[in-house]
Parts: sequence; C-alpha cells; structure tokens
Amino acid sequence: MSDQEGGSKILKWARTKSPWIIHFNTGGCNGCDIELLAALTPRYDVERFGIVLKGSPRHADILAVTGPVTHQIKDRLLRIYEQMPEPKYVIAIGTCAVSGAPFWDGYNVIGGVDKLFPVDVYVPGCPPKPEAIIEGFAKLLKKIETEEKEK
Amino acid sequence: MVKIVVGPQHPALKEPERFLLETEGEYVKNVRVRIGYIHRGIEKAMENRTYIQNLYLAERICGICSDAHTTCYVQAVEELLGVEPPPRAKFIRVITAELERIHSHMLWLGVAAHEIGFDTLFMYVWRDREIVMDLLELISGNRVNYAMNTIGGVRRDLNSEHVDKILKGLNVLEARTKEYIKMIEKEPSVLKRTVDVGILSKADAIKYGAVGPTARASGVKRDVRADDPYAAYDETPFNVITSDGCDCFARIIVRAEEILESINITREALKKLPDGEIKIRVKPRIPPAEALSRVEAPRGELMHYARSNGTDKPERYKVRTPTLANIPALCKMLVGGYIADVPIVLAGIDPCFACMDRVLIVDHEKKKSEVWDLEKLRRYGREWYSKR
Amino acid sequence: MSREEEFVKKLEERFGRRVRDPRIQRARRIFVEIDGKDLREVLTYVKNELGFDHISAITGLDVGEDIELIYHVAYENSIELSIKTKVSKKDPRIDTVADIYDPAGIYEREVHDLLGVVFEGNPDLSPLLLPDDWPSGVYPLRKDKSFEELRELVEKSGVSGK
Repeated sequence: MSDQEGGSKILKWARTKSPWIIHFNTGGCNGCDIELLAALTPRYDVERFGIVLKGSPRHADILAVTGPVTHQIKDRLLRIYEQMPEPKYVIAIGTCAVSGAPFWDGYNVIGGVDKLFPVDVYVPGCPPKPEAIIEGFAKLLKKIETEEKEK
Repeated sequence: MVKIVVGPQHPALKEPERFLLETEGEYVKNVRVRIGYIHRGIEKAMENRTYIQNLYLAERICGICSDAHTTCYVQAVEELLGVEPPPRAKFIRVITAELERIHSHMLWLGVAAHEIGFDTLFMYVWRDREIVMDLLELISGNRVNYAMNTIGGVRRDLNSEHVDKILKGLNVLEARTKEYIKMIEKEPSVLKRTVDVGILSKADAIKYGAVGPTARASGVKRDVRADDPYAAYDETPFNVITSDGCDCFARIIVRAEEILESINITREALKKLPDGEIKIRVKPRIPPAEALSRVEAPRGELMHYARSNGTDKPERYKVRTPTLANIPALCKMLVGGYIADVPIVLAGIDPCFACMDRVLIVDHEKKKSEVWDLEKLRRYGREWYSKR
Repeated sequence: MSREEEFVKKLEERFGRRVRDPRIQRARRIFVEIDGKDLREVLTYVKNELGFDHISAITGLDVGEDIELIYHVAYENSIELSIKTKVSKKDPRIDTVADIYDPAGIYEREVHDLLGVVFEGNPDLSPLLLPDDWPSGVYPLRKDKSFEELRELVEKSGVSGK
C-alpha cells in the first residue's frame, strides 16, 4: 500500500467516524436551532458519534441549514458553501429549510435550501425533535460510507 | 481603532442583527446596527392569510418564545371580536407561558455560561432544561411551537396526571435552580467576567427604552404581567424580580430568580385552576376594529397591534419584538466597554443568540479592518482575561 | 375619574380641538388623533408633563391616500396611549421624534424601510430590515402591490443582499 492510499484511507475513516458540522441559520425562527443545540447537550449527546460543531466553514464536512432562505442571507450562504472543502454534504433541518414552509411565498424568501445547492438529507418537522435530527445525521453518515465504498 | 462587525446570522422575526463596532485599542468607541437577515415579511404575509392561518404564522415568529407570540396574537384578535376566553383557558395560558419562560431562561443561562467560557455550567443547565421540555411536550405534544392557543381559548386541556407530573418536575427544577444560583454567586470565573461589565444605569434603561429582564436588572421595576395584567396574571400574585447591579451579573441573577418565580406562579395557577370549558366558538369574519395587545415574553415587553376590516383577513398586523426594543440600550452598554466583553454583553440582553456569528474588526490605529467570527472573539476574550 | 379619563381630560385642556376623537377602548388603552404638525409638541408634553416615558413602537399603515402613523407610548408600563397622525402618500414626510424618545430612531428606520416615510432630522435612515440592494421605491407594506406582485418584482430584480 502506497502512502497516498494509506492517507486517503485515514481521511475516509475520519470522515465517517468524526464528521465536523457548521450550522447556519438562513432565516429561521430559532426553533430548529435550539433543537439542534439540544442534540449536542447531555441527554442526546451527538458527540458520542464523533459529531462536532465548528465555527468555521473551512473546517466542516457537513453544512446543517435551518430556516427558509431570505434574499439578504443568500450571498452569505453561498459563500459559506463555497468555502467548505470537498467532499461536502448538506443537511436541511426543519420544514423551512426543506421547502420554505409557511414563508414560501414571502417577498423576502427564496424558499428551501435546495434552490441554491444540492441537499443530501432532508429532516422535516417544525421543528424536528433532536431524535429526528440524530436520525438525519445517521442517514447521512450511512450515505457517506456507501459512497466511499463505491469509489 | 478597530472596526468589528458582529452578525448577521440570527433567527427571530426581525431580530437577526449585524453590529459594526468601531474600536480603539481595547475599547469599543461606536456601534452601528443592521438587522433584517432573517426578515421573512411576516407582517405582509399576515395580511394575506385568514385569522386562523395567522395563528400558525404567529407561532413561528420566534421558536423560543412562540407561546408569547400566539398569546399576544389571540388576545389582539379576541379584543377585535369583543370576546373573552373562559377562565380555565386563561389559567392554562399562564401555565404554558411560565413553563416557556423557564425553558427560555435556562436556555439563556446556558448560552451566557458558554459566552464566558464556562461550558460545564452550559451542559448542566441544558441537561436540566430537558425536564421542562418534557413537561411542555406532555401538555402540548411538541417540545417547541406548542400550538396551545387558539382564538377564544386553548386547544388542549390539562388532566390530573398532567398536574401531578408538572408539580414533580417543578420540584426538581426548583432544587437545581437554587443550586445554580448558589454556584454562580460564588464562582470566581463568573464574577470576574460579569461584574461591572456592560453597565446600563437605571436612568439610561428608561431613556433607551430597555424592556424585560434587561430593564429589571437595572432596577427598573416593570413587568407587563404585573403592570398591564392579561390572561390570569391578576389572580396569580408574584414578585417582580429586580436588581440594582446594572451589569451582566445582575442580568444573570435576575433571570435565574425569575425561574424560581415562574415555578411559584405555575404552582399557584395549578392550585387555582378552575373547572369548565377551555374555549368558545368565534366567527371567522371580524368587524372593523383595532386592538393593541401586550405580553411579557421571556425577553421583555412584546407588542402586537391589529386592525380588522370586516373580512376574514386582517387589514394590518404589526409586531414589535423585545429584542428590537433592547437594541438601543445594548448599543449604549457596548460603547466604552472592552472588546473582550462584547460576547457576554450581547448575550446579556438575550437576543435570539445565533445572531452573532461574524465580527468585523476595523482597527482605526492600524487603519485596517478584518472580519472575526464570534468564536474568535470569544477566544480573544478568554485569552485577554487570562493574561490579566 | 379613572387615570385614563384624567389623561384624556388633560390632553383636551392643553390642546383643545387639536386632539381629536379621544377614545378609551378599555382599561389601559387610549387612542387619540392629531395633525402631523402638532406631533412633536404633543409627544414632548405627554413625555415631560404626563410621564409617558416609554415608546413601545411606531406602527405605519397604508390607508389609501395617506399613510397613517401610530406612536404607541406607555405610562409606567401600564397605560398605552396610541397617538395617530397621517402623512400624504405622495410626499410622506414628518419630523423625527428621535430626540424626544431615543428608541424612536430605530422604529422610524423600520417604518422608513417598509412604508417609505421620511422622518426629517433622523440622522440614520439606512436600511434596517430589507436587503441592501432592494429595488428603490418599492415598499412592502404599501397596499398598491399585492403579495404576489411583490414577490415577482423582487425575484425579477435579482435582490441578493450584497
């Protein structure tokens, strides 16, 4: 096994065993955000899956988006997405990030996140319970694992 | 001099903010505010939907104090209609509102602890907060956005099993909260980072129109629940908690003690809970009228203004949220303070907290500007304090 | 005589018929109407003489030919006095009250954004809520554009919040 192969194996292993997340609110009401935060605290504790919340997009593998996308936030959201290193994954948390929900026809709202870039996992709910958010992450990790195997 | 931009990401209605801080050396010299990143146009959307549909929108103005918004909304519409909800409904509104205040204040206590680098307290508080989340889920069916209120009453009744469980949960919460207050008052790292930080004098609190715990921590005894009673608050007497500290420490203590007061109000309301209907039927069309409704949300005075035009949709619906009211006071607190204290002072008014993601620092001495994220600002604060 | 009635009486004694249509809707809610030119005088009086030291909000409404402005001020956080005035939609201008009530500055910025009322003397009327590159002359809370038209217009103009 060459050094390069060994290196990429470690990367794959790290990506599925300890994905780092950046959380971005694009216009949501805070409901999903507090539930995402609750998922990090002792009762739910997603850190036991190696999931760590990071402040910088350059360190993140997964972008967790909450809220409908507003016009004013659109550029910043795109910039954050572009700053993330490849391969990157997106998880849309809550019905607003999935489709725009009750704000879909608002004058300052674009709609769901998938209008701007592809989404890997949708977690509907208003807001989804921490259990549902954890399931979303579990599904995403499974998806990453399968993709890595197929490569 | 450095310019710092704090924001923009931040969640409630119009409350995502961006702050441009002009700094000189280690001091903040001037602050400019820009909000609107999360502006979803709810007021316009409400003119386009029926009163029943708007119940759903009002709930989603803010996910943390959703019950305060629906209470304010249904009160406004009930005043337009000229109807009164049944007494049992009013008591259930008080119980839900106080449980929500407990969850919101505990959430804030955890976030404030995080801002000063005290993550142990953050995790403890959030662990115990799950008790009240369970109670809210028990009575409403959802942890957040409870959908308890409807025009003319409430949607779900409480039974004796609910009452027992709530009382048990409150006992645990009371013991834990007392424990936290004892700890906070003695913990040197909390005292060092919050005492005499973010000063807002009583005169300034009134001048700049501060509301809620921010005003009460500056000795302004104002609480809509006591001064302009709604729901069943005139039948559940309570103390308005104030402090003369005028700093971030006082804001922590006021909120912690308000948790205890909310526990007492909930107990009192459960004891006095009258029998009877929980809602009355109302007509979908509302004759032309206007109404001004106020509620003490966890963050302070919340105001809704409604005008009807005889159809099933409002002519105009106006919402003024407490964080917006506290922004002028916040700017006053920041000016003259240390850059290292910005995160805790910002958190001190309890804005919907995700707002302060990025910070732009413009150094006027070095004529440069840079964007910091809040994480960097926090780290700067911790290192700066550890060197002192 | 209730406190609400006392306040109405004092307003009428001081301003006579310049204060129109005073109405006590219920306990702790008073509504009155005045002309735009009297606004500063009335607000100074209610703040300094009557003790209404807190401004809760400024509401703006599109009422056809005019834009109605409602200044909600509170006495000891209890009695809410709503002072209504109108400005013409063609040239919506009114004096600022930010020097009387400090927080009014930010509420005026909000009304300026959403209804296009110019508050003369307010030092900062930069966008507060709407995107920086929002099309000029479009005010979301005016009734001349329907909800759907507004959405189309914004989408066409390619607002992106730069």
